Order: sequence, then structure tokens, then C-alpha cells
Amino acid sequence: MSRFLIQRPLPHGGRLVERVVTDKEAAKKMIRGCPSYDIKPTLHYETGVPVRNVYREIMSICYGFFSPVEGSMKQAEVERILKERRLLNEWIFPYPLVFDISEEDYKQLGVGPGDRLVLNLKGKPFAILDIEEVWRIDNPEELAHLTFGTPERNPEVVREPFNKKHPGWVIYRSLQPVVLAGKYTIINEPKFRPPFDRFWYPPRKSREEFDRRGWRTVINHQTRNVPHVGHEFLMKCAAFTGDVEPCHGILVNAVIGVKRRGDYPDEAIVEGHEAVNKGGYIKPERHLPTIVLWDMRYGNPLESLLHGIIRQNMGCTHHMFGRDHAAVGEYYDKWATQILWTKGIPSYGFPAPPTDVPYGLDIRPQNMREFSYCPTCKEMAYSETCGHKREKLSGSFLRGMVAEGVQPPAIIMRPEVYKVIVKWWKHFGYPFCNEKYVVNKEKELEVDLEDL
Amino acid sequence: MGEYFMVVLLDDYRMSKIRGTGLEENIKYMFGGELRLLEVKVNEELKDKILQEFDTARVDSRGAITDVPVAFMRELFNQVVEKKSLGPEVVEAVLAKVDEIKKAAEKESEYLPPPEIE
Repeated sequence: MSRFLIQRPLPHGGRLVERVVTDKEAAKKMIRGCPSYDIKPTLHYETGVPVRNVYREIMSICYGFFSPVEGSMKQAEVERILKERRLLNEWIFPYPLVFDISEEDYKQLGVGPGDRLVLNLKGKPFAILDIEEVWRIDNPEELAHLTFGTPERNPEVVREPFNKKHPGWVIYRSLQPVVLAGKYTIINEPKFRPPFDRFWYPPRKSREEFDRRGWRTVINHQTRNVPHVGHEFLMKCAAFTGDVEPCHGILVNAVIGVKRRGDYPDEAIVEGHEAVNKGGYIKPERHLPTIVLWDMRYGNPLESLLHGIIRQNMGCTHHMFGRDHAAVGEYYDKWATQILWTKGIPSYGFPAPPTDVPYGLDIRPQNMREFSYCPTCKEMAYSETCGHKREKLSGSFLRGMVAEGVQPPAIIMRPEVYKVIVKWWKHFGYPFCNEKYVVNKEKELEVDLEDL
Repeated sequence: MGEYFMVVLLDDYRMSKIRGTGLEENIKYMFGGELRLLEVKVNEELKDKILQEFDTARVDSRGAITDVPVAFMRELFNQVVEKKSLGPEVVEAVLAKVDEIKKAAEKESEYLPPPEIE
């Protein structure tokens, strides 16, 4: 065997966290006599609009996407993350994750350390939280600032102070004051509704699927968008990295969670990516669209760190990162993610890249620039190799075209992908997420639960 | 007096409506000829009227007027076909229906009619 062959990395932390009880009788015994609490969405601190649902974090933790995190974090752990981006067991991790409730709910529940709390979702028992500590968020605004950084504290990459226009900042600013910290366990597996069910590959399943397909090297494409041809070329060309041969597989992992108005619906995003392989633009044997549940924090380099953790846990060897990775607005340097993965960001606790610090990651970054159409080459061209003037593919230009009901040419968007957009447009009466979609999505969520 | 314009995108369906209007020779191309479009002329007065009527509308660095409601853009195409022209009279005719367009624009955040494709 060549010494240059890359092997699949172990999960972050050394083992996959799996905290899902599938035996219903055992689950019933586990919750007998325990107090229960109906999971509530986190509401925007000013507008009252849903901005997060902690059920998505519980799912991602218990199925191992966020390994080695096992539950809602204790105060000392949150403080360490904010200072060094490390868990108490030393492994790197970017964000505080907590189960927060109001003072009123806390008083009413009357629970404390040592108690087991049953968490209901959509009126059915869903998970348990074994409470180890109760602590309080005294100043959510300060927590929000510490989570993302400031231009003064993080001058390498933060360009503007975060504020209420940033959806991730709003999530932390909107947290309730009482944190119940402890491990989660899912005791009633939710069932994904179509079309999400066929894209659900939690880490154990994705690793098994890679084995089944004979994929040793896999590169991940992070998405929250319907793919245009620029994305397709990014995927195809980034996959030429690998070891002695191009990556065997391209994993598309769509972040499914609370939506912002103007986004494409999640249904169109996942089926749009599937249409790329159904149309043969990337062979289905080399391409696997999947989902992860997470209410995006849009933390650019910090978000990329979480993405690296999720995809390493899923079994990927490589991860592509582009300009403005998981970003909104101009809070961060547009290359902040690539700075993190090439030289580190000392002020976030990374004097070296996250792959080069103790208890760091093993997934390999593939930092990419952009693809756009070159009328001289008459093809999609890479910004760093094509020497001609190119026609930029802008998302807003495409969205304007779609909104007008004009089919984009196939050189910009594959007809199969456009058909998916129109399919869900007909379903929702709108091509993008509008207020009705956002509100309904947070009511219905992506899953249903059976009686326990 | 500045020269402004609005872009009318042309897919196959719209091309079929344009055929025979004499406007084919004005078609411009992007993306290696894959994207076809027409540019409708807008004079200073009409530009001001558009900006006044639609607060989302703006003029970009090329002098293109953008970010008007979809209903406006659809009516713009209809008027291009009806008038068989790319002159300012097209936008004039669109603005004559401004109340109707505004009513449709109000509903645009709730519903947009999907295109009929196979």
C-alpha cells in the first residue's frame, strides 16, 4: 500500500457519541415518574419570531454529528469555549450549546442536579436530560458578543461589531436565563418526513455507506443553497484533490434548520443537489446529498470549525471551504475561514490551524476560490487559473431570474435543478422562504414522533 | 439627461413571444450566448417616476434600473411584446398600470405564480 494513501479519520474525540435508545420498553422504564417539559423554540428577543429550536441540537448531539459533545454544557465548559474554543475534555469546539429555559418554567418544574427531565417534542416524549448542573446566563448580550468575537478582541478576522442584524448573534442574545446542563439521550426516535428522510445519514450510517460504496477518501461540500453550475464545478474540481487519486466521494451535507426570508426552501435545496446526480452531472456513485440539523450561527471561521467536526464525524477526509464561508453581512473578513485553516486565528485560541493543535481535527481543508463563466474559454473557469474576463455568477442575479419565472440557461443552472425549484414553488406558492414558510416550518419541524 | 435601461430576460417561452416583433436583432447575449436579454430604454423622467413609485427600486452602476417588483418586470415584458418596441413608451405603458402592479406587488411576498414547465 502506498504510504501516501489517506485513511478515514476517527471521529472527533476518538469515538462517536451515540445516545439513542431504540428499545421502547427500556425507554418507557427510563422515563417512568420523571417530570416533563415541552421543548419551546427560542424566540427573537425583540420580534418574537422563532430563531432556533434546541431539538435540532439534541438530534445532532445524540446521533454523533457533534461528537464528543454529549449534552447541554456546564458553565465552566461554556466559559472555556468562549476563551479557548475547547471543551473541558480538551477537544476543540466552537460554540456554547445549552438547554435554556425561563425562570418561570424553572420554578414550575422544580428540578435540580440529579433529576431526569423528559423533553417532549410535538406533544410526544422525545429525549431525556439528566441534569448535572443548573446555572444562569446573567448577560445574554455579553454571551452573544463573546461567542462571535469583536473587532478589538479578534482583529485578525472580525471587521464589524456584531448586532441584531446577525442571525447567530440574535440566537445567543435570545437565550433564556436558566441553563439545565447535562447529557441528552433520545428515547423516541423521530421520523423524518419526505423528502428529508432519504437524506438522513447520521455519522454511523454515513461511515457504513462510505464502506458500502468503497469510498476511502471523501470531500464534503457544505450547503444551504440550491446548486448552480458554479457550485457543481466547485464540487467536481475540489474532488480532484485526494491522495494518489481524486476523492472517491463527494458528500453534500445541507444544514437544515431555521430559515431566513429569501432563502430557498430546504426541500428544494436537498432535492436540487440530488438532481445534480440524477442528471448525471456528477455520477450518483460518487455523490451523496445528506442533511444535518442545525440552526446556523453564521460564524464564518467558527462555523467552519463546526462543519469540520460534523464532516469528520461523518467520515470525510476532506472539506472544501470557499469565500465568506457560512457568513452573512460583512462582520468577518471574507477569507476568515481560509485564514483559520491555513494559519490559525490566535485570538480564538488557534495559534495554528485546527488540524495542527493538540486535540484538533484530522479532516483536510481544501480552500477554494470561485468558478464563473468565461466567454473566451467557453466554459466554467476557475478564478485562479483563467486569465480572461469572466461573467460572474451571482446568487441574487439568479434569484431575480427565478422570481421572474425565467428559466436560467443550463450553463448557469441545470434544468433538472430548476425543475426542483419549480416543483417546490408550486407546493409552497413561492420560490423562496417567505414569512408563511418560516413560521410553518418552525411549527411542523422536519420530523414527526410516534407514541412511546 | 442620463440614459437608463431595464433588462428583460428571455427564456424559450419569451423568445417564442418575441419572434416576429422585429425585436430579435436587439437581443443581447451573456454566458456564451446562453442567456438572452433585451434592454428597454428609460429616460430621466421615467427613471424618477419608477424610483418614486417603488421604494425598493435602484439604479446600478451601469444605469440599469433593478429591484422593482416581479409584477413590474412581467408587465414590462408584456408591453415590449404589445408595443413591439424597446423605447420609453414601453415603461410609460407599464407605469400606466402602476396601481395594478402595486396591488400585485403587495401579494408578492405571499404568492408568486410559478412558471408552467414540463
